[in-house]
Amino acid sequence: MFPLISLLLATLLAGTVATFVSGAKARWVALATSVAFLLEVAVLFLNYPGWPGYSGSLVPGFADNESYAWIQLSWMHVNYTVGVDGISLVLILLTAILQVATVVYSWGEEKRPSAYFGLVLLTCLGCFGVFVALDVLLFFLFWEAVLVPMFFLIGFWGGPRRRYAALKFFVYTHVASIVMLVGLLALVFYSGARSFDFADIYASARGLSSVAQTFLFLSLFFGFGVKFPIVPFHTWLPDAHVEAPTGGSVLLAGLLLKLGGYGLIRWAVEVLPNGLHTTQPILYFVAFLSIIWGSVLSLSQRDLKRLVAYSSINHMGIVLLAIALDSSLGLLAAVLLMFAHGITSALLFMTSGSVHHTFGTRDIPSIGGITPTTPTLSTLIMVGALASLGLPALISFPAEFTALLATWNGIAYWVFIPLGILVVTAAFYIWMMQRMLFGPPRGIPVGAEDVPWYEGAGMAILVVLTVVFGVVPGFLVNVIVSSPVKGFPGT
Amino acid sequence: MDFASFSGPFLPEIILLAGTLLIFLLDVLHRRRNELVGGIAVAATLLALLFVVADLGFDPLRALSTIPSGQIDASLSGSPLYAFTSLGLVFQAVFLLATLFVSLASMSRPTDERGAPIFYGLLVLATLGMLLVAISVDLIFLLLAIEVTSISTYLLVAYARKDARGLEAAMKFYIIGALSTTLSFFGASLLFGAYGTTNLHAITTAQALGGTGGFPVLVLLGYGFLIAGLAFKATLVPFHAWAVDVYDGAPTDVSAFLAAGSKKVGVFAFFLVFLAPILFVRTSGSGNPFTTGSVALGPVLQVTLSVVAVMTMTVGNVLALLQKEMKRMLAYSSISQAGYMLIGIAVGTAPALAGATLQIFAHVFMKGGAFLVVAGVAGLGIGPLIDDWKGLGARKPLVGVAFGLMLLSLAGVPLTVGFVSKFVLFSAAVQAQGYFIWLAVAGLLNSALSVFYYARVLKVMFFDQPAPNPLPAGAVVGGSEPTLRAAGGFGYGRAVAIALAAVVIVTVGIYPQPVLGAIQAAAQQFVNVGA
Repeated sequence: MFPLISLLLATLLAGTVATFVSGAKARWVALATSVAFLLEVAVLFLNYPGWPGYSGSLVPGFADNESYAWIQLSWMHVNYTVGVDGISLVLILLTAILQVATVVYSWGEEKRPSAYFGLVLLTCLGCFGVFVALDVLLFFLFWEAVLVPMFFLIGFWGGPRRRYAALKFFVYTHVASIVMLVGLLALVFYSGARSFDFADIYASARGLSSVAQTFLFLSLFFGFGVKFPIVPFHTWLPDAHVEAPTGGSVLLAGLLLKLGGYGLIRWAVEVLPNGLHTTQPILYFVAFLSIIWGSVLSLSQRDLKRLVAYSSINHMGIVLLAIALDSSLGLLAAVLLMFAHGITSALLFMTSGSVHHTFGTRDIPSIGGITPTTPTLSTLIMVGALASLGLPALISFPAEFTALLATWNGIAYWVFIPLGILVVTAAFYIWMMQRMLFGPPRGIPVGAEDVPWYEGAGMAILVVLTVVFGVVPGFLVNVIVSSPVKGFPGT
Repeated sequence: MDFASFSGPFLPEIILLAGTLLIFLLDVLHRRRNELVGGIAVAATLLALLFVVADLGFDPLRALSTIPSGQIDASLSGSPLYAFTSLGLVFQAVFLLATLFVSLASMSRPTDERGAPIFYGLLVLATLGMLLVAISVDLIFLLLAIEVTSISTYLLVAYARKDARGLEAAMKFYIIGALSTTLSFFGASLLFGAYGTTNLHAITTAQALGGTGGFPVLVLLGYGFLIAGLAFKATLVPFHAWAVDVYDGAPTDVSAFLAAGSKKVGVFAFFLVFLAPILFVRTSGSGNPFTTGSVALGPVLQVTLSVVAVMTMTVGNVLALLQKEMKRMLAYSSISQAGYMLIGIAVGTAPALAGATLQIFAHVFMKGGAFLVVAGVAGLGIGPLIDDWKGLGARKPLVGVAFGLMLLSLAGVPLTVGFVSKFVLFSAAVQAQGYFIWLAVAGLLNSALSVFYYARVLKVMFFDQPAPNPLPAGAVVGGSEPTLRAAGGFGYGRAVAIALAAVVIVTVGIYPQPVLGAIQAAAQQFVNVGA
């Protein structure tokens, strides 16, 4: 079979290297790379056997599977094994979309553009690798490969406290990765798997006792959870977002948080079902805590970016809740939510970046009535906020609706916690819009102009997708449920 | 036995001996051009390497071996001094690679020409001793072969006669080395007292049949002295203190040879001497161990070696964290690496030995290469402190990238050979079950610790701005901007050696299978020999 995934990896790798060395032409190289990558992802979709056009017949396991020996020992094999299923495919699509949008949005970057765009591509390469890796070591390799470029994006292009934020980001996520790695290695060695491949671990982990599964699950949950981020390990996120350059924020919220959710689904939930079962109360508690904490703190934020960052904690809390339900509907909702949050939070971070560029501040109380001055930007902020609060016909609605439905099916009246919080979410977004967008103009510097074309174009891509996937979410649903995960129709 | 059939297996050794003699002859004839004698050293090493690799064969198990796997060969009852085992041949190849790199790098070194033949002659002679270590199966033969290496390296450290630091280092090296030799020979004599032989295979047979042979205390003491004596050679804590001063004081190319090559002799000697008791003397007999009876020698040795391994890697890493000079940092890191290697024999299974061997293989390229870079950078007129390297990555990007790769490999970052070797080693310790899992944990924690001092160098090289006047006195200022052609430059031979090392680090890191397969098979055969 044609090594499609390796081709995608090679495209990104070659593009990244080319961007780093291309000097002033870097943005063009980056754009060409990300468009080529998007087209290849389209081919990956067309080639996917779970696709409804290919009738309902599903292959068991993963599509576009490739496996080559890497470190072969007499008792243990480490392979380069990659493959996709519906869940990873949706997140790969998200990666490709955000990559294009980020490159277009950042078109005007003046500070060492070749390094900036190279690091953006490298981050996307790492995320893509995480989504396709089906071998523990390969997975970990890509997982760590995401950290380094993001560290430099924050540390070099960030705001005034960038060094602190970059270091905090690195320490938090790195400690979490170490715990995760130990958990994964313990899983491999303790379960007696013959290789580091997902399939082998999946098979041999069935034999683990409930107690072992619980401990392994908890260590993996901590490792992946810090990336979510879960309360109380969330404090790196607002700091990192506030200091990160806009492109960095977009990738951070849009992709890096999804790594946590994806990792939890693929390497913990699927592999250790009993572990999930016994730790369910803990997961619920943490999820509710994150939902409430993120939302309530959003209410009290003055900084637009910080507000969006805390709302991300709230949204990812719902993702965790959906995963913890341990039902196929919950899993579907979690993946849909991750995709939706990837698009909407990226859009919102772009708008807050543009607000900062245009008005020199992101402080919500100190600017107001910006609509007459910057009509385009105001419209985009509104679309982003409405999408994020779950307005029907926009992308978050089907996802959140599915999540709430799954919660009702799973834990009945507890659904009123996320439901009630939805009201708070709506409140802080609408309040923000009321203060910033409407009313008499306030604190608008002389000569403030609407967003430049490239920032507008970057955001427009996301706005279109927000509407498209909000109206026809069935496309995503069909792909996700074709995954070979227990509970989905194919299994 | 006619000469041809006798000399066939010994071709690599004969080539090296001929090379040494030729170089010394040229010295007498006043033909002392650096390129000439260096070329002879490179050619001899390369030729010997080719023969060793040919002996190993492309199929690793086709190795020339006088001992079939799975049994003790009856024909060995005649107490031979040497035997060709696959693992021995792998080590010969590793030793030859180290020498090849060092001599290649030294080819273009600005050296005082009178010293060149001495340098290369001793280098090749030391390598000859190392090759003999790799084939020895007799304690006395082993210790004498180590002596050949040691005496050559004492002189190598001192060969730059005008350098007081080098002389001091050589003196220290010599005195400590003599002490360790004494200890080793004393240990060997005690074992002779217990078993009536110094042949390792005879000792293996005796241990397989009769444990400690009725002299448990004698045997314990004998192995104890051997641990101490060989630990000096392999720079294990608490016998490591000399290593840093010697590596620091010696000419840097010699440091590269000591770290990448000659110290591995000590590690391989550990493999040779300690595998048999670890495998065979597992239970203690009845009765008082001080008079008759027996002690569970294998477990005792394993615990001892495990403790030494953990101490060595921890002390080396912690002290490396505190260093301000590049060479001393590398020297301490080299000590910690010896700790990782010792895990192999402490665990004592074929996978663990394979992991340790791969680690030794990797160390040639990463640590040897790193010392070669340090020597080259000193040639550019950059000072010995780590902070002197500020901004090097921008001024010499290729050197910076190569050195960065070596450091990443030392830290065990994936896609480098250092990762593969640590992975094999630690997972073998986990696979061996029991308390060896804690060896793997200690190794992992130490690897995590070591990242800090390697990353610091990377930060200094690539992210720190150079000091206002980065060039010390003596640097040539050409035109408007200062050039880096100061104390002799970098040199093409060194560039080739460093580039080769960097390529091997990445290539084997991505596709380790050929090397790994050969080493695994060799280690398995090595363990089978006694089983």
